[in-house]
Amino acid sequence: MQGRLGQGLVSAAALALVLAACGGDNGDSASSDGGDVTLSVSVWNIEGTPEFRALFDAFEEAHPNITIKPVDILADDYDDKITAMLAGGDDTDVLTMKNVIGYSRYANRGQLMDITDMADSIDTSNLAGLDAYDIDGQYYALPYRQDFWLLYYNKGLFDEAGLDYPDHLTWDEYADLAAELTQGEGGDKVYGTYHHTWRSVIQAISAAQTGGDQLSGDYSFFADQYDMAVGLQESGATLDFGTATSQQTGYQSMFETEATAMLPMGTWYIAALLAAAESGDTDVDWGLAPMPQVPGSDDVVSFGSPTAFAVNENAKNADAAKTFVEFAASAEGAKAIAAIGVVPALQSSEITDAYFALDGMPEDELSKTAFEPDSVVLEMPVSETASDIDTILNEEHQLIMVGDKSVEDGLKTMGERVENEVR
Amino acid sequence: MSEVKTPPDSARPDPAPASSGAAGRPARRRPPRSPERRRQIRRNTLVGWSFILPNFVGFAVFTLVPVTAAFALAFMEWNSFSSPQWVGLANFQRMIGDENFRVALFNTLFYAGGHIPLTLVAALALAIVLNRKIRGVKFFRTAAFFPYITSLVAVAVVWNMLFNPTLGPVNQFLEFLGVTNPPGWTASTDWAMPAVIITSVWRDMGYYMVLYLAGLQTIPEEYYEAARVDGANAWQRFWHVTLPGLRPVTFFVVVMLTIQSFKILDLIVVMTDGGPGRSTLVLAQLIYREGIREGRFGYSSAIALVLFFIVLTVTVVQFRINERGKNR
Repeated sequence: MQGRLGQGLVSAAALALVLAACGGDNGDSASSDGGDVTLSVSVWNIEGTPEFRALFDAFEEAHPNITIKPVDILADDYDDKITAMLAGGDDTDVLTMKNVIGYSRYANRGQLMDITDMADSIDTSNLAGLDAYDIDGQYYALPYRQDFWLLYYNKGLFDEAGLDYPDHLTWDEYADLAAELTQGEGGDKVYGTYHHTWRSVIQAISAAQTGGDQLSGDYSFFADQYDMAVGLQESGATLDFGTATSQQTGYQSMFETEATAMLPMGTWYIAALLAAAESGDTDVDWGLAPMPQVPGSDDVVSFGSPTAFAVNENAKNADAAKTFVEFAASAEGAKAIAAIGVVPALQSSEITDAYFALDGMPEDELSKTAFEPDSVVLEMPVSETASDIDTILNEEHQLIMVGDKSVEDGLKTMGERVENEVR
Repeated sequence: MSEVKTPPDSARPDPAPASSGAAGRPARRRPPRSPERRRQIRRNTLVGWSFILPNFVGFAVFTLVPVTAAFALAFMEWNSFSSPQWVGLANFQRMIGDENFRVALFNTLFYAGGHIPLTLVAALALAIVLNRKIRGVKFFRTAAFFPYITSLVAVAVVWNMLFNPTLGPVNQFLEFLGVTNPPGWTASTDWAMPAVIITSVWRDMGYYMVLYLAGLQTIPEEYYEAARVDGANAWQRFWHVTLPGLRPVTFFVVVMLTIQSFKILDLIVVMTDGGPGRSTLVLAQLIYREGIREGRFGYSSAIALVLFFIVLTVTVVQFRINERGKNR
């Protein structure tokens, strides 16, 4: 009975998939022995994520017999959709791993092809973020892009206030600076800084810089960072969390309309900022600075997360898919995406120079220094419990930020809930 | 059903073997099955099936099978990739100890407890006001119905802005009225659910108003005249004529509202996404989260099963109450 039901479910799921994948894959892809191959690659929001197009064009040029067919998915629903597709045995060849939590989930379920041999055979010494894909010595994806966090600032607003640019700050100096830069009232108010509503703005950076473990269940190491953030919010030096969520405030519009002087944010924003400047949507004069640090730290420590390509266990064109994954992680792939302002996983001085030679990039030394932090810690450790813990940390983060709980109580509840609810 | 009218006794006197000549008498309960007759029955059956089959296949594939599968999955552990494992009642035991489930259940009841009565009263009040012959009544009826056909995402985003704790018009108005410490609405754990309820009442009342308007027009004018002659005032006419006259409509509205309230998901996802914290986390959202996001389809189905039985129980109770009221 159980077996038959299982089969029934699988076939029902398969049927659902056929319907879900309508329009997804109707290209006739020949097998890979020299003939033409149509390689399907899952992507999100291809119009708004130019790196995919750049990478595909470069790849197709290098491999004329392979045509790439993107499977475009709404960015917000990306992981849910991939989960559903894979559950139904979908055969999209290459799967983009939007975040590491999703990666570990798919890999642990056996949905991704083991490509450890490839990770061993290519030179990975300069491939940032590769460690994140290590699952007990096996690799199921290779990173092609590595974003990390730094501090964006508005040069014009700093000049106006007669203040020095934010060079290697501590968090205390950062908070004082934010207070000094705040001016105006109501709709014209300029905030000293803007903390976006994500929990990582506070939690991941403090884990990276204090060495705390976000899976541990003891979250006292978040305390200083929360005190700073809640203090800034109470003094009005940053937009308060409640307003930011109810208005669905975008960090882009905060920075591009010069409503904030500073913005801690990931490097992915550089490409969007360059594009906004080019299309004339903003004329903000901006620069990059290293993330502020905890006191007494000699190194610049930030956090970030890589993005990777993996081969579907059910891939129709596994060989071509592997070729693509390798290409994306190679120097050629890195150059293709650096050319549009995206930070590649492969790091070399050559690629950094090419990156800063882009039109509209700040040219000062500080910005270049900011681009080379001493270490980048993974935003959230990979584990089977990461997703559940992520939900809890996020819910309690909201409660602290809206003032429903004190920092102390919030951190205590976080720990208790992780202990009780995550098994 | 018409055969039932034939007295069963009429078939009895016939001795069993003598039935071969009975072909011309259709009223017999057990006519002899000649091959011809059997073929005809089979043909009728086939024709009948062919009529319902196209619809039934669609229903079976997209509703019956998944729903049955979900029932079965509630007793299994399934991550959608490997084959399901039978775990008996483990999912339900887990639910008893799961704080997320308790929070979601409470929030769902809170939402239903606010949404059902408020929508009912608002819709009825609107219908009564707009059932008069006043100038521009069509315009006002349309205006009241408008929220219902507006895109849900637009509704959620706009109300979120209205509820903005510092700059929102709602709080600015409250401050104008002299409220010194207005609620934080969607940015506060205590007020997020009321904010969602207010939005959903605003959105749904127009639809139920239309139902009530139709109901109001079925109450004969003579009843009101008779009541007036008897000296009933407006309140008495409402209480003793209008409300009893609207009984069937009210019953329908309450049942629909109940089902709609318990399965609330869309508005909450767009407006608060369950936050702040878990203050607006509802059962449907927990089902989605456990199933689609965490890949625990068994546990998710178990929660769905519980939700189903809650809605079923409430609806059955409503039917019972309605029956009793009718017989009075």
